Amino acid sequence: MPIEPCIDLGAVGPGERRALYRLVLLQRLFEERALALYRQGRLAGSFYDGRGQEAVAAGAGLALHADDVVCPLNRELATHFAKGVTVAEAFRNFLGRGDSPTRGRDGNMHFGVPARGVFPLVSMLGDLVPVTVGAALAFKRRGEARVALTFIGEGAFSVGDTHEGLNLAGVWQVPAVFVIQRNQFSYSTPVAQQMVNPTIAERLAGGWSIHCETIDGTDAIATYDAVRTAVERARAGHGPQAVEAVTLRIHGHAAHDNGSYVPRQLRDSYADRDPVERLAMRLELDGASEDELAGLRSAVAVEVAAGLAVAEASPGPDPTTIEDGVWAAPVGLFPRKD
Amino acid sequence: MNRGHLAATDETPAAAGEITYLGAIAAALRDALRDDERVFLLGEDIGGFGGAFGVTKGLLEEFGEHRVLDTPISEEGFVGAAIGAAWMGERPVVELQFADFVTTPFDQIVTVAAKTHWRSGQSIPLVIRMPSGGGVRGGPFHAGSPEGWFVGQPGLKVVCPASVEDAYGLTRAAIDDPDPVLVFEHKALYRRLKGPPPPPGHRTPIGRARIVREGADATVVTYGSGVAITIGAVERLGVDVEVVDLRTVWPLDREAVLRSIAKTSRVLVVQEAARSTGAAGLVLSLVAQEAFEHLDAPPALHAPPDTPVPFAPELEDAYMPSVGTTADALERLLAY
Repeated sequence: MPIEPCIDLGAVGPGERRALYRLVLLQRLFEERALALYRQGRLAGSFYDGRGQEAVAAGAGLALHADDVVCPLNRELATHFAKGVTVAEAFRNFLGRGDSPTRGRDGNMHFGVPARGVFPLVSMLGDLVPVTVGAALAFKRRGEARVALTFIGEGAFSVGDTHEGLNLAGVWQVPAVFVIQRNQFSYSTPVAQQMVNPTIAERLAGGWSIHCETIDGTDAIATYDAVRTAVERARAGHGPQAVEAVTLRIHGHAAHDNGSYVPRQLRDSYADRDPVERLAMRLELDGASEDELAGLRSAVAVEVAAGLAVAEASPGPDPTTIEDGVWAAPVGLFPRKD
Repeated sequence: MNRGHLAATDETPAAAGEITYLGAIAAALRDALRDDERVFLLGEDIGGFGGAFGVTKGLLEEFGEHRVLDTPISEEGFVGAAIGAAWMGERPVVELQFADFVTTPFDQIVTVAAKTHWRSGQSIPLVIRMPSGGGVRGGPFHAGSPEGWFVGQPGLKVVCPASVEDAYGLTRAAIDDPDPVLVFEHKALYRRLKGPPPPPGHRTPIGRARIVREGADATVVTYGSGVAITIGAVERLGVDVEVVDLRTVWPLDREAVLRSIAKTSRVLVVQEAARSTGAAGLVLSLVAQEAFEHLDAPPALHAPPDTPVPFAPELEDAYMPSVGTTADALERLLAY
């Protein structure tokens, strides 16, 4: 099936298109490499990826400024990269290294780099919606032109914290942006078993007066443009904003899950909508030469390989440090250290 | 939910020059709001109404709505939002109307607030104030002492002020602290306990117990409402007993507990939380492991039975430790 190219939006220029391509490809190649490591038994624990959702992660990440903050979930590696998290940092976390962002205390996508405005993911869906709203509240209180963004899947849309967070965002009119990752499944549960009205944009508008644009989440240009618009509206003081990005989770929930419950017809309908290939096709139609595209690809491949090499050379965590940092200011230790 | 109609704790007003336990908390909040722009309060009905118990009365008028935020009824939401604001360097102070309601934001507290520093190095300077405890005919949802759920949770600090001085000092210290601190205020002490106003800026160090009364023949380890009850029991019996007010129930001031038991060789734990929760388990485990050789009697526990807090006066009075029942427990320990 021929690939459907990304939409040709004049508002998204050649430099931005290339930046998006680097990000979607970086997530793709990183995750392919990491999945291979997992299957070789070189990654402990579980493995989650965002195949089919890279455009949402990249588009949202690129729409943020350096001092904006974000709470990504576990299919948004490109968002981390857009915020300046390095490939080596991410691989260190997957490998459980002592100098990883979590110092080996958490694995795979369960990490963040607060110094770069990225909050560490927690597994409990919906928890980070109020947290994002609270960060946005801080910006509003201080009069700072900054934005906080998070992602919400269909599964999290059934969680109470999500709705409490959305309600607070509306009541407080804070600069928060919610990107709905409509990837069709919550683990194995299809949308029809998660919600009566599956049109999330309608519910956000009707329930919380939060404007929500619905876009094709496999199209990086469309996603970037919509999220950027939402982010800038929030930054300009128009209150919380949302974008519903419709896509399909191509892999299972995690590496142990082959996604056999995804109907073939649905899977086939996404065969011409691979986010990486769609953007490559757009760049070709834009007139990018084969050499240029090959150059972009090899640069990303080199970045992934080099980052992995750095991570593999990093030391493992030291078990004697396990109790360090439980508290920012430890007290009541016995024997007292003071 | 049935909220905020418990005014049964009103007692005689404080004498000239004295303030109540509630007044001390209010003063701590006011001083913190004045001293640090990052401090703001959020919770249900805390603005114009002044909170279910009146702790924040007048603060909205004094500091404005950007410092004192009324929230929708959504504890998961606004505790999560306080975490997000703390992430951004603010100093949010949350009020829950009753400590019992901490069940709803439990996930935000334990999953997000408690673990973030260990996982990422990001400190979460969050304070959650909660009126806890019984004696006010509050029943199963308005009289609980749920601090035990958080005792032992890495990353949290849990304090239970038992005096006017500590009501001020622990609140100030909690707001200064870079970690999430849960403050279990005792609602029956709000207007009952009175004392001289602590000097502005006073801090009670978190993680440090206080020897309320020195003694040689036994140690009572207690906190919160247990402190005044224990002092009453010791005075009634006229015995030479040391009383340790934990003040911080997590992390425990192990050294203070062990030092006192090394001196007295007998220990009774008194708490208002049901016997299998609260801080007793942790204290008694510490005693068994570290003080065994000092003991002249089995460590004892005086605490309510393992049930929710009952409503009817006959039941609640039988449930709660009193001066009389605590004196009985102390006599048994001393007679062993």
